[in-house]
Amino acid sequence: MLDGLIANYGEAVAVLLFAIGFANLLLQKNLIKKIIGLNFMDTGTYLFLAEKGYIAGRMAPIVVDGVQDVNRYINPIPSGLVLTGIVVSVSVTALMLSLTIRLYQRYHTLNMDEISTILKKEEI
Amino acid sequence: MEIIRNFPCFSLVLSMCASIISSALNGKWARRLNIFVISAIGVMSACTLYFTFVTNQCYIYKMGRFSAPWGNEIRFGNLEAVMALFFSVIMLLSILGGRKHLFVEVDPFKENLYYVLINLLISSLLALIYTNDLFTAYVFVEINTISACGLIMIRENGHTLEAATRYMLMSLIGSGLLLFGLCILYDITGHLLMSNIKEQVLILAQTGQYHIPLVVAIIFMGVGLAIKSALFPFHSWLPDSYGYSTASSAAILSSLVSKGYIFLLIKIFYRVIGFEIIDESRLFNVLFVFGLCGMIFGSLSAIRENDIRRMIAFSSVAQIGYIYMGFGLSTETGMIASIFHIFSHAATKSMLFIAAVGLTDASGKSKKFIDLTGAGYRNVIAGATFTVGSLSMVGVPLFSGFISKILFAQASVSVGVNKMLPTLIVLAISTILNAIYFMKTVVRIYTPVKSDYPKIPWKQDVSYAVVCICFIICNVVLGMCSEPIVDLIRSGLAMFA
Amino acid sequence: MRESVSLLLAILFPVLAGTALLVVRKKDDRKKMLAYVGVVLGITGALVINALTTKETEIVLFELMEHVPIVLKLDGFGKLFLAIVSIIWILAGCFSFTYMKHEKNEKRYFGFYLVTFGILVGLGCAGNLITMYAFYEFMTLVSFPLVIHNQSKEAVMAGLKYLFYSFFGAYMALFGLFFLCRYTTTLTFTAGGTLNMELAAGHETLLLVAACLMLVGFGVKAGMFPLHAWLPTAHPVAPAPASAALSGIIVKAGVLAIVRVVFYLFGADFIRGTWVQYLFLTLALITVFMGSMLAYREKVLKKRLAYSTVSQLSYILFGIALLNPVGLTGSMLHMIAHAFIKCALFLCAGAIIFQTGITNVDDLKGIGKKMPLTIWCFTIVSLGLIGIPPTGGFISKWYLATGALDSGIGGFQYAGPIILLISALLTAGYLLPVTIKGFFPGDDFDYDKLEKCEPGKWMTVPLVILAVLSVVIGMFPNGLLSYIQAIAAGLM
Repeated sequence: MLDGLIANYGEAVAVLLFAIGFANLLLQKNLIKKIIGLNFMDTGTYLFLAEKGYIAGRMAPIVVDGVQDVNRYINPIPSGLVLTGIVVSVSVTALMLSLTIRLYQRYHTLNMDEISTILKKEEI
Repeated sequence: MEIIRNFPCFSLVLSMCASIISSALNGKWARRLNIFVISAIGVMSACTLYFTFVTNQCYIYKMGRFSAPWGNEIRFGNLEAVMALFFSVIMLLSILGGRKHLFVEVDPFKENLYYVLINLLISSLLALIYTNDLFTAYVFVEINTISACGLIMIRENGHTLEAATRYMLMSLIGSGLLLFGLCILYDITGHLLMSNIKEQVLILAQTGQYHIPLVVAIIFMGVGLAIKSALFPFHSWLPDSYGYSTASSAAILSSLVSKGYIFLLIKIFYRVIGFEIIDESRLFNVLFVFGLCGMIFGSLSAIRENDIRRMIAFSSVAQIGYIYMGFGLSTETGMIASIFHIFSHAATKSMLFIAAVGLTDASGKSKKFIDLTGAGYRNVIAGATFTVGSLSMVGVPLFSGFISKILFAQASVSVGVNKMLPTLIVLAISTILNAIYFMKTVVRIYTPVKSDYPKIPWKQDVSYAVVCICFIICNVVLGMCSEPIVDLIRSGLAMFA
Repeated sequence: MRESVSLLLAILFPVLAGTALLVVRKKDDRKKMLAYVGVVLGITGALVINALTTKETEIVLFELMEHVPIVLKLDGFGKLFLAIVSIIWILAGCFSFTYMKHEKNEKRYFGFYLVTFGILVGLGCAGNLITMYAFYEFMTLVSFPLVIHNQSKEAVMAGLKYLFYSFFGAYMALFGLFFLCRYTTTLTFTAGGTLNMELAAGHETLLLVAACLMLVGFGVKAGMFPLHAWLPTAHPVAPAPASAALSGIIVKAGVLAIVRVVFYLFGADFIRGTWVQYLFLTLALITVFMGSMLAYREKVLKKRLAYSTVSQLSYILFGIALLNPVGLTGSMLHMIAHAFIKCALFLCAGAIIFQTGITNVDDLKGIGKKMPLTIWCFTIVSLGLIGIPPTGGFISKWYLATGALDSGIGGFQYAGPIILLISALLTAGYLLPVTIKGFFPGDDFDYDKLEKCEPGKWMTVPLVILAVLSVVIGMFPNGLLSYIQAIAAGLM
């Protein structure tokens, strides 16, 4: 069990990060902390992907010095996925932050529960 | 004939381009462009359906230069085509039905942005329907979420902002889980294309290798998508976002957005993992239990509700429960029933939202039941539409809801007693609960009362009346000629795997 | 071809005519509207008679789902039902011409009245379970506006109660339908049942549960214990002609459905001797007794009549539950007799309300002196309901009792007739006081204040016709009896 963890320490850290992020996203009341949790979660996933794509001792899949041998390079697809994923998570984070700003301007609090209580009183 | 094979790709590209162009247009032209694009997508989907129906096999369309294990693919058969056609029709009707409200509730300078979002939404829905690549699906899931969030908060007030935030938070949890599950799956199979993953998964299942990661991946993806499609108990964002956003948004969100995720989930069941392996993982049992709970609690909350829009929104929770219950039966007939219910619910729920808007208009914009008294006389067409929708929800024969109930029940009779009895009992209870709150509303809107609010003759908004009639026709067609549609779903599912 | 056209016409014509009345917006010209309604009722009557003369053929309209077609098929029992429906509907319609004067929204009332007529014709013609279920649900929906007609809070609540009980019952029946789909050769009604015995073997318990659910579910409409409570709530709030129609016909729809399920789908042999039959018999007997008791204690006339309906309907159900030809003959006879009688009783109650506004039984002293013709009719049909020869009620009860004695089911063989007898006495106890007090108000009655207030002829003529009919079927029952016996024999 422990050997497995040590051998795959990268993945273990990734899962840990994911779990921390997930818990934060679920349990924190503060919106900013929730967003931080979200980013933790995404980062965990990307770390996991990158770790899976990495093969020890090989280099990035960019052809330099005319080396064409496939065995010299790591798998490029996970890196590509990570890049795409980062773009997605950046846009999502931006959207979340802008929402948070709007809410803060309106209600002067970052606590979701407080906002809900205020809203219950407010009628449209 | 040959050119039709390109249509799914065309419709994707068309809607994406339209959303970019719309951002530079003014509101009026953006609207025209949008309506044109959706109609065009509808026509193209109809052609695609014709094509797949005639050739009776699914077609794989290569995106870009690379072929199978590396490249990106579109894959379509009967089910995908009919889904796309249906989604575009409902989308068009919802937009036309809520048109008048957009002018009032959305800032005129932002009107073109609304259409940007709509175009994005339809493109992401189409991508979810057509794509054969799991990671592409993930990206479009996020695009779908973002555009849906935009649709909620484009009518700016405290409620929609809060609802949008809640919606985003829930969705992000869901998509985080989906992404992680997807990564694990990629990790153990080494592929991203659905068909290739399935080959590897079959081998893994036979050898028994990586059993735990496979189950974890299945559960992560299943639960993630279930959260995103507002399965009970993850529905807290739903009533606010449907209840306070502008009418078209509510109709589209309730009928289409969650259905896109559900469609992706079906795809994962059939094309990515394979039905038997999912069945072994017991995911269906989990979905079954939550589906049943949703059916009951959604309806109970709807009964307590004092706001017509929120009531319809809670009823959505119950209906989503029906769909997941159908999955939970873990048979093909159950799946067919669920897919039929996707159609039936999409048609009915958008209809109810549009009708509810007509009723609230005739009651001084108030959504409270007390003010709605007699609204059925003041806005005749909306009243009739709402009544038809309610009857369909309650499950009166000749309307679509009845057919899906029969399909569910037939499916449940063929499984073991320990799933059959709960299904039938909960179906019964939920029907009664549906009857309670929908019939209560119908009686209220037809209770005559001396009212200060003026009558709204149908001539005042002809397009609204036409939309309402289209919705009614759509519902009755689903309810009376369900056989070809069920056949189509069955053949589509056969092509699916 | 001729069959399908005539059946469809008889169903669609009143539905369309009623819808037209509801939709078309015109100045309230009462006379024109009444003329229109009268003409429509007349034409529909003619169309139904035309439909009655057709041969029994199966007409497939379209397929609702795979293996689930919508089928019309008018057989002997359906014809019987149709005949009662049209007689009652036309007579009660004539009665409402005057009665509805003192209610608002007449147009809506008559519109839904006509639509309901069409739906009921459809119910009689329905050829398979799904079709019947569809018409059954529609019947609930379109009769709902009749119940809540005056739209007071009380009426709406009563209407909703009616609606929910009906939906609940219908859904229980649907429940059974789902099971039946799997174990029958066809859902088309066929005398003797359509169970596929090979498939059903080993699943008897399941099927019996399904049968039980369907019986209880459709029994809701027929006011069977334990789901009878909607009836005494809904009847009194509806306008009198509507409650007459409800009590005369709509509740019979439940009976029709039960007969269809028991004899045309499951088959009498499948149910005979099982716990379902005993349960059914027990429930029917409990309802007979309980209904009479409650009616006896009730003071509001229309409510009393409603409880009486609960009790009388279960006479019919009891006859069905005996599952022998004699009992079934009695049931069908009682169905006819009760339709005429109860319709007449409610119309009398309506006439009293219309002329004097009295709803309570205790206030009816001397009413016979004020409106003698009405109370005479009331008396005659009361005697019919109690079962005194030579009225229709006597013959039907005679057959019911004989059927019970013949059945040889231990316990019920004797308990049945005894309870029927007790209930008949109670019936006398709750109906005759009206007559007695009405005609013999006692010495302290002030004859000077008495003024004649006999209702107009649109009200009295239907009453007289109904009273005469209820006596005629008792005096000359042979033709009808042989027709019914032929049906009953064909079903066993």
